[in-house]
Amino acid sequence: MEYAIELKGISKRFGTLFANKNVNLQLKKGEILALLGENGSGKTTLMNMLSGIYMPDSGSIIMDGKKVSISSPEDSAKLGIGMVHQHFKLIERFTALDNIRIGLRDEKGLFLKKDTKNLVLTMAAKFGFDIDPDKLVSNMSVSEKQTLEILKVLCYGAKIIILDEPTAVLTVQEIDKLFKVLRKMKEEGHSIIIITHKLNEVMAISDRVTVLRHGEYIDTVVTAESNEKSLTELMVGRKIDLDIKCVPIEKTKPLLEIRDLTVRNDEGAIAVDHLDFYIRGGEILGVAGIAGSGQKELCEAIAGLRPIIDGKIIHKGENIVGLSPNKILEKGISMSFIPEDRLGMGLAPSMSITDNMILKNYKDPKGPFIDRKYAREEAKKVIEKLKVVTPSTETAVRKLSGGNVQKVLLGREIKSGPNVLITAYPVRGLDIGSSFMIYDILNEQKKKDVGILFIGEDIDVMMALCDKIMVICHGRLMGVVNSNHTTKEEIGLMMTGSLDLVDKGGKTAGIARDSAISETEENKETEEAGT
Amino acid sequence: MKKYHLVRRPVQSIKRLLVYYLIGIVISLGIGAILLASLGINPFEYYGRMLTIGMVGNKYAYKNFEGFLKVLVPLLITSLALGLSFKMRFWNIGGEGEFLIGAISAAIVAFNVTGLPRPVTIILMCVAAMLSSGLLGVAVAFFKVKFNTNETLVTLMLNYIMLYVITYLGKTKEDWNFFLDPKSARPIFGKFPETAIMDGIKIGNFNLLWSVIVAIVLVVLIYIYLKYTKHGYEIAVVGDSAATAKYAGMKVGKIIMRTMFISSALIGLAAGLTASASGTISETITNNVGWTGIVVAWLGKLSTPAIAITSVLIAILQFGCKTAATKYPSIDSNFADLLQGIILFSVLTADFAATFTIKKKEDAKNA
Repeated sequence: MEYAIELKGISKRFGTLFANKNVNLQLKKGEILALLGENGSGKTTLMNMLSGIYMPDSGSIIMDGKKVSISSPEDSAKLGIGMVHQHFKLIERFTALDNIRIGLRDEKGLFLKKDTKNLVLTMAAKFGFDIDPDKLVSNMSVSEKQTLEILKVLCYGAKIIILDEPTAVLTVQEIDKLFKVLRKMKEEGHSIIIITHKLNEVMAISDRVTVLRHGEYIDTVVTAESNEKSLTELMVGRKIDLDIKCVPIEKTKPLLEIRDLTVRNDEGAIAVDHLDFYIRGGEILGVAGIAGSGQKELCEAIAGLRPIIDGKIIHKGENIVGLSPNKILEKGISMSFIPEDRLGMGLAPSMSITDNMILKNYKDPKGPFIDRKYAREEAKKVIEKLKVVTPSTETAVRKLSGGNVQKVLLGREIKSGPNVLITAYPVRGLDIGSSFMIYDILNEQKKKDVGILFIGEDIDVMMALCDKIMVICHGRLMGVVNSNHTTKEEIGLMMTGSLDLVDKGGKTAGIARDSAISETEENKETEEAGT
Repeated sequence: MKKYHLVRRPVQSIKRLLVYYLIGIVISLGIGAILLASLGINPFEYYGRMLTIGMVGNKYAYKNFEGFLKVLVPLLITSLALGLSFKMRFWNIGGEGEFLIGAISAAIVAFNVTGLPRPVTIILMCVAAMLSSGLLGVAVAFFKVKFNTNETLVTLMLNYIMLYVITYLGKTKEDWNFFLDPKSARPIFGKFPETAIMDGIKIGNFNLLWSVIVAIVLVVLIYIYLKYTKHGYEIAVVGDSAATAKYAGMKVGKIIMRTMFISSALIGLAAGLTASASGTISETITNNVGWTGIVVAWLGKLSTPAIAITSVLIAILQFGCKTAATKYPSIDSNFADLLQGIILFSVLTADFAATFTIKKKEDAKNA
């Protein structure tokens, strides 16, 4: 069998750490190979060696029976390898066409060629892309940018196309569209490697699956002969219970009610647009939306970190708008936001676990001094309770692994005994085992009648974990649905704004019938959403 | 294709750092020795005098120690103060300017407030110096917080503004200019009245200036301030991640302005003490502490005890070089500057070598 590309015994080390250790991979011509593995298992590193960003320390790359050496992205492109990176490499102020031009190597001479546009249009038509070559990248949506990235590598004549977590930023409908394009590319004889850790996508699109774990090659299996459970075991290395529990709890009156909330983002544009919703004690309300739909601004507004333009935030019947972040914290509203870099907010990375424990209440002791003894006790408690793996309480947070960092953060947030817990992307970048530990922590809080606002990325997880899911699109409420009575497709449509369930049939979604606000008794006839 | 690349060492060890520093110093002293020998000077003798700051076999050893302390005190206080703002990742490189405005303010008090007891006069001088320098620092911080101006550029430019202000004062022979010596026809800075000149505790012949005691107390206070107080905690959090500080409900702008006030005011205090100890001011009163202090703060890795030790070592180097140079007619104090430069350069190189290592890229081998 002739392979499009073959990797033999590839190893790559960063310092003392092996990112890849003796990895083998074979990509057949005209197949879609899924590269599966948890975060940090070395998938991206391996692919970066194909795209010329890294050089392997040892091992060989074989194409068409010949050993090749890829020492720069230029080499990689010449060999017909194209990679679509997770973080797009596009120039925002250029048009789609100009972005493609940058890397076109056959444009010789002083002037830009006119027929490049035709080439782009033909290519787009061939694979069924919908793209306007003269549109500025800065005006494009995430899915359009991704389309452009794929089109770019196709225009460069790539025969082997690598996609690094292409679905992470897409809605369900957009994923379907992407998969259609990928199948078309396969028919045209292209070979595709798709990096992912989402099992359902692996099952849907790939022909074969290569599994990596902790940088090591585990196995390659034919997709049709495997199932999600067996793949997980290969990926994690042990049997794991894939069911996220959603514990049913007797709900209390609304704890936190948001009415007509409007907030601007840092650029001054409206980020949260007249939003209405509420959280009861003992429930997890999921927030679904495409990245940048106002999630961050919403969290910050509730925590008192961002001024609000209009609207009310009512906690136990009392408007907390205008209170200082500390006052809001004292009322038992705790917010933890895991940003993309995972360390930027909520934790001081160079400081010890001990010092991070008192970040929000370092002012409590009287006098000018901080109470480090108390902080150390708290750190010990959190480490013990959440099984944080760390050499000591004095270890700098940045030296911990991702899962442990997030445990420290959540541990600090729940130790103060909040009654409303706002948590954004708490499992961002975590492996399956750590993620489940976080879900358990959240469910435990739920049992304590805490109202939880869970801002998530993975709709499957939200549908399993949350009681209700609120969908926002460009900061506007698209509706609140009961997670038992909805489908991924419905949520996907709402995320893109094509389905709006608010104000359907006289219902005003997002306003509680038994509101704790006394002055708005006239709203009593409004229905609970989605039920 | 590049065959070698720099890699950060996975483990940082204090022992390795010290060994590298030592190697760096030995190499630079070796280079200095070659230069000295080529000028016909016995390098061992020279270095012996330098490291003992000329105190061995000297009838007036106490004078040398006094001189050494006069170099040490402003450097120590300024380095600690700069460390305070660096800890917050506020790049205050305006130590020179803050020092100069403090010295000018102290001189204003010294020349105009007469008839008060000496301690009161000196305290007034120091307060004036601290306020003026502190306000200069707050102004920089204010613009940073309000308009996000670049503090590195602003403090750098202020250094020159202040340098030209004091040069102007020192060169302008006019009736209003009380800074100048009225008896001299040429414009030179005047001597402070007797009550504005610092005295100290007499230990035999040795005069322990009050400024030394102030500096030692400051080391302890700043250590406690950074390590155990709420303010110190806030500085550490803001320096580590401003987003986190904001998220924890800290008023980041206020903390930056407060810390910059303290940092600059301390430099002002150093200036006030120095002016009072030398009994006059001049364009060169800073002895470049605003610059050297940056190096000291970083060599000390922003840790208070390490900064204290480093400034003692640098002061020995500075004062020792100059003292040793006076003994030999073939070299002057410029050689001291040269040697200092070589040593600092090698220590910084050693620091780099202790943090990073050069690795050869392994070629891809056949599996």
